[in-house]
Amino acid sequence: MSDIRKWFMKQHDKGNGNASKPEKPAVAASQPANKSTPPAKESGKPMHGAQESSGRKKTGKVAAATTLESNTKHKPNNGSNIDRSPAKRKNPVDSEESHDNVKPPSAKRTHKGDDDDDFVLSSERKDSVDEVSPPKKLKSGSGRVGKKSIDVDEDVELDQVESPVKAGGRGGGGRGRGAAAAGGRGRGGGGRGAFMNFGERKDPPHKGEKEVPAGSPDCLAGLTFVISGTLDSLEREEAEDLIKRHGGRVTGSVSKKTSYLLADEDIGGRKSSKAKELGTSFLTEDGLFDLIRASKPATATVQEVSKKKSLEKANYPQPKSSPIKGEVKDDGKSLIRKCVGKGLLPAASPTKQKSQTNIHDSLMWTEKYKPKVPNDIIGNQSLVKQLHDWLANWNKEFLHTGQKGKVKKQNDSGSKKAVLLSGSPGIGKSTSAKLVSQMLGFQIVEVNASDNRGKADAKIMRGIGGNTSNSIKELVSNESLSSNMDCAKHTKSVLVMDEVDGMSAGDRGGVADLIASIKISKIPIICICNDRYSQKLKSLVNYCLLLNFRKPTKQQMAKRLMQVATAEVLKVNEIALEELADRVNGDMRMALNQLQYMSVSQSVINYDDIRARLASSSKDEDISPFSAVDKLFHFNGGKLRMDERIDLSMSDPDLVPLIIQENYINYRPSTVGRDDSGVKRMNLIARAAESVGDGDIVNVQIRRYRQWQLSQVGCLASSIIPAALMHGHREALTAGERNFNRFGGWLGKNSTMGKNLRLLEDLHVHVLASRETIIDRVTVRTDLFSLLLKQLTNPLRELSKDVAVQKVVDFMDAYSLSQEDFDTIVELSKFQGHPNPLDGIQPAVKAALTKAYKQGSSSRVVRAADLITLPGMKKAPKKRIAAMLEPVEDGLPVVNDDALAESEKENSSDAEDQDADINGDKKPQMDVQSSKSKGIHVELDLKSTGNSKEKKTPASKSKASQSAGKGGRSSGATKRKR
Amino acid sequence: MLWVDKYRPKTLDKMIVHQEIAMNLKKLVSEHDCPHLLFYGPPGAGKKTLIMALLKQMFGPGAEKVKIENKIWKVDVSFCSHVSSFYWLIFQIGLAGTRTLDLELTTLSSTHHVELNPSDAGFQDRYIVQEIIKEMAKSRPIDTKGKKGFKVLVLNEVDKLSREAQHSLRRTMEKYSASCRLILCCNSSSKVTEAVRSRCLNVRVNAPTEEQIIRVLEFIGKKEGLSLPTGLGSRIAAQSNRSLRRAILSFETCRVQQYPFTENQAVPPMDWEQYVSEIAIDIVQEQSPKRLFLVRGKLYELLVNCIPPEIVLKKLLSELLKKLDSELKHEVCHWAAYYEHRMRMGQKAIFHIEAFVAKFMSIYKQFLIETFG
Repeated sequence: MSDIRKWFMKQHDKGNGNASKPEKPAVAASQPANKSTPPAKESGKPMHGAQESSGRKKTGKVAAATTLESNTKHKPNNGSNIDRSPAKRKNPVDSEESHDNVKPPSAKRTHKGDDDDDFVLSSERKDSVDEVSPPKKLKSGSGRVGKKSIDVDEDVELDQVESPVKAGGRGGGGRGRGAAAAGGRGRGGGGRGAFMNFGERKDPPHKGEKEVPAGSPDCLAGLTFVISGTLDSLEREEAEDLIKRHGGRVTGSVSKKTSYLLADEDIGGRKSSKAKELGTSFLTEDGLFDLIRASKPATATVQEVSKKKSLEKANYPQPKSSPIKGEVKDDGKSLIRKCVGKGLLPAASPTKQKSQTNIHDSLMWTEKYKPKVPNDIIGNQSLVKQLHDWLANWNKEFLHTGQKGKVKKQNDSGSKKAVLLSGSPGIGKSTSAKLVSQMLGFQIVEVNASDNRGKADAKIMRGIGGNTSNSIKELVSNESLSSNMDCAKHTKSVLVMDEVDGMSAGDRGGVADLIASIKISKIPIICICNDRYSQKLKSLVNYCLLLNFRKPTKQQMAKRLMQVATAEVLKVNEIALEELADRVNGDMRMALNQLQYMSVSQSVINYDDIRARLASSSKDEDISPFSAVDKLFHFNGGKLRMDERIDLSMSDPDLVPLIIQENYINYRPSTVGRDDSGVKRMNLIARAAESVGDGDIVNVQIRRYRQWQLSQVGCLASSIIPAALMHGHREALTAGERNFNRFGGWLGKNSTMGKNLRLLEDLHVHVLASRETIIDRVTVRTDLFSLLLKQLTNPLRELSKDVAVQKVVDFMDAYSLSQEDFDTIVELSKFQGHPNPLDGIQPAVKAALTKAYKQGSSSRVVRAADLITLPGMKKAPKKRIAAMLEPVEDGLPVVNDDALAESEKENSSDAEDQDADINGDKKPQMDVQSSKSKGIHVELDLKSTGNSKEKKTPASKSKASQSAGKGGRSSGATKRKR
Repeated sequence: MLWVDKYRPKTLDKMIVHQEIAMNLKKLVSEHDCPHLLFYGPPGAGKKTLIMALLKQMFGPGAEKVKIENKIWKVDVSFCSHVSSFYWLIFQIGLAGTRTLDLELTTLSSTHHVELNPSDAGFQDRYIVQEIIKEMAKSRPIDTKGKKGFKVLVLNEVDKLSREAQHSLRRTMEKYSASCRLILCCNSSSKVTEAVRSRCLNVRVNAPTEEQIIRVLEFIGKKEGLSLPTGLGSRIAAQSNRSLRRAILSFETCRVQQYPFTENQAVPPMDWEQYVSEIAIDIVQEQSPKRLFLVRGKLYELLVNCIPPEIVLKKLLSELLKKLDSELKHEVCHWAAYYEHRMRMGQKAIFHIEAFVAKFMSIYKQFLIETFG
């Protein structure tokens, strides 16, 4: 009784919780309706409690069932059980009557509610009376009890069916329960095998907070689910997993066969509208849990029996619905298989089968159940047909070229002399090649990677060599003989080149040789490869008819696997086989091998076995650094084995540490228990940060001193230790951030830093080139920048436009700063949260500065090497040229100015042809610069010694001034043009 | 022109601070053959000024005729000593042999001397020392008419050279001493290996005292015709951290900001220093993962703006120390040194600065809780 009271309390709490949660207006709206119901419920419930408690007194088993039932019963406090109750009813119906999907029409439901009342009462009585009941009966009894309670609830609710808004009620139920459960259980169960998905789907609101129930493995058998939207506590993958584990089927879209649409909130998508259209019932996550819980087996024996029973049932429809393709095989076997399939199982047959299979036990299943005729091949039938046609027509097409071969090119498949089959491993490429050839009576010559396939020796091309490639050549070219002879037996042959993409270093010129062979070949050649887009095969592709094999669907595979399983007297349900097919990624061969392996140890294989078996093998596939980091930091990351962690962090030993470094702060470590102040977390962060630093130091040793043996230590320090310290729940640190791991910021920042350093170096070189200062690079940034910035921007802000611009340009000239350097200074002085250094400067002033600087550039001596473009060269030379520095004050600029003035005067007369000249020139300005640089050339001078120097090199000087004059002229012209 | 450059003493005679050193150097080069020299001292003490003046003393005005050259050197490296700087470089696997390495190097040279910064090449500096410097050192100067039969190589930031490079350097110093003198310049002699140090005449250039700085500021003020209030001068000197360059620069900044100086005029701090002190305030205010994340962003900001990580860490420590209780100071200093050491061993500076911040936060938080509950 106390239990029940507790439940009631909780229910009220839930109600309050709901009310306080303003998130769903619908919930709020339906609240009053809910409020009105409790009295009615309460009036119904105590009676139940009494019954149950009496039941508990009688037998412990029943007690278990009833407590379970009380779980399920009190949960549906509002509209949700309207959807769920048919599920309850349908399940027993399914297991008791037949496999046929009896779809209960919605109208029928309400009737049944009344009918069941009597029936239920009687069953209850029966339960309490029969103390020692056979397990089977007990099971059914408990099932009925569950059903009954629901029905009674329904009774209560039948009154209120009209009042609550359906969707709102359901949502409220789910939420409320989630909140209640969270209080009791903390962070326990959830999150099994969840992968962070990067789609836009939200995280479940109560992720990992609910206990995932375990029921009998086949309680959902025959039901088909479609999952829509975000569930309350489960990730979609988890939900799928849960359903599959209990024998249900999960499909992607709603169809007539869909039993339930699993959705916690009606997001009104396509699925839900379709479901409404088809009358598919909705199911909440809690409803699903209840379905599963309700079926919880009372005893192990019951479970066993029920499992067996439903297994048969699950198997039953299978062979019937699909015409068995393998029937061509030995008749006896297929007969037995039929027997098994029908579920008749004559007592003698298993032993008989056993004896028969024992003979073949040595055979691998992959060999044993190899397709015997092309039609046996799963999937790709059209390709097989195409291959068949091609091979059948081959002789006609290519051998009798003399008469009509060339004319006949109507179908595409005939036009190529070879065929290239491609597709992932284990989907039957080689098999289909062999089978088709066999069927057409070709003799197969197979050359695969185990043979040396190098280039045939040219000299002994016609002779007989020991080399395989020589014999290929021989075979290929000699066919003419045999066909010419036209013997009675007439053995045609076909060359199967398996694994052509494996032609590697050992097979030098293999592909080229193969192409040559194709060209001269007198027999058909079938090439097989895995990756058609491989670089090696690029040339081969042009000579081949391309047939791309696709992976068979999991249903196709499961069908075939089921045939095999039944032939081997292996009990396995179809869902499990589909899971297997899914896990092996379309590789039939692997699926068979796995199945055979499992059959050695157990004769009944269920979903969980397959999951457990393949959990390890699925890991071999590539994982992205993100998913690796997710797994390492995952709530259950601490349970990973060490080698798994190393594998994860080694999946990308460069990126994983960076992503870890970027994100470790975001995790709330689960190893810390109660930590109100956050001290423990901070301590852990400090330790993790130190370890990340360790990783960096080790990395230096690895990269710089090539101590690659340290790489494991490196990944331990940089990834595993931080992850081990910090793993837990991730939380977003900044508002609006998506709660996913960020990409490591270091790469981007580092490259920006590199760029800025380069810019700074340029600036530094320019400053040095002015010969005013002897400062080093670091000090330029740390000490000089503030002042430079002030000198450059303050005048622009304070003085009038012209004066300011003049002042700034003068200053820039003095330190030979270019426009880019100006930008660099501004850029590197920007700090987030600080005002932009350019704030307060009018755009007009900025524009004037640019203009003034450009204007001055004609008269400015080239300061730094990197500004030079050589005449006749389009690009600036890669190697920077030594700059030539002229003191600003003396000599040249004066001359320059004079020349400019003169040329201006001159220009007024012959402006026209100047303009014409310039128009002909593509980049006049550039040219000016370059000619000038040529003129000035690699000499430099000091202020003090400038005069003497000038005397020494009059030639260069005059040349310089000439060219400068020219520059001035042309620039003057351009100005005027503007 | 900036005052730092305008009033830089060009000859040894004109030195205002370090007059004694200047006189000694003058005597040294005029009377004797010059040995290898190692100048060390804190930034802003006047090392470079001394070196330039010394060069002028040695070679006459010709030493000031410098040209800048930014050149790519091709260096043949035997393959086994292959070094790859960053992980995205594909590691070539090949047979033994040589391969050509391109090294970009900016040099500042006159006919008598070459000045370069070998540590710019990162940890390929070894090749610069082994190949380029050797190459330069080998050849005798063309100008044989000059009285000196050698040329001078000025190497900056020797303390940043890797150990391998320094080892290569010492051989060069001995072997080619006939044709070449090295003048090494660095901040801390402790990072220069013993072997190199013992081959040089070590010249310690102290940071100028505040009085000296004030004297220099007054000198400049007089030359510029400004009236410098004593209070402002001493405050500038105090804030300059005994770096003369810094003092002159902030003096000029004050001038730009507001001319008629007032006694209590604010001396604007460097932009990045201000930013660092903001970070320190952030750290002391709150110790949480969120705050650490914010601080990381700000640290990145500093590094991206080319502030060297060591300087950031040092400044950050001194800012933090200002706000700390004395009992914590020792521990925090210890950790700062610890992480600075690790930073130099490592490559990704931000990791270590962040680790320091995290450590500080953890210590400080614990301390706060223990003290105030």
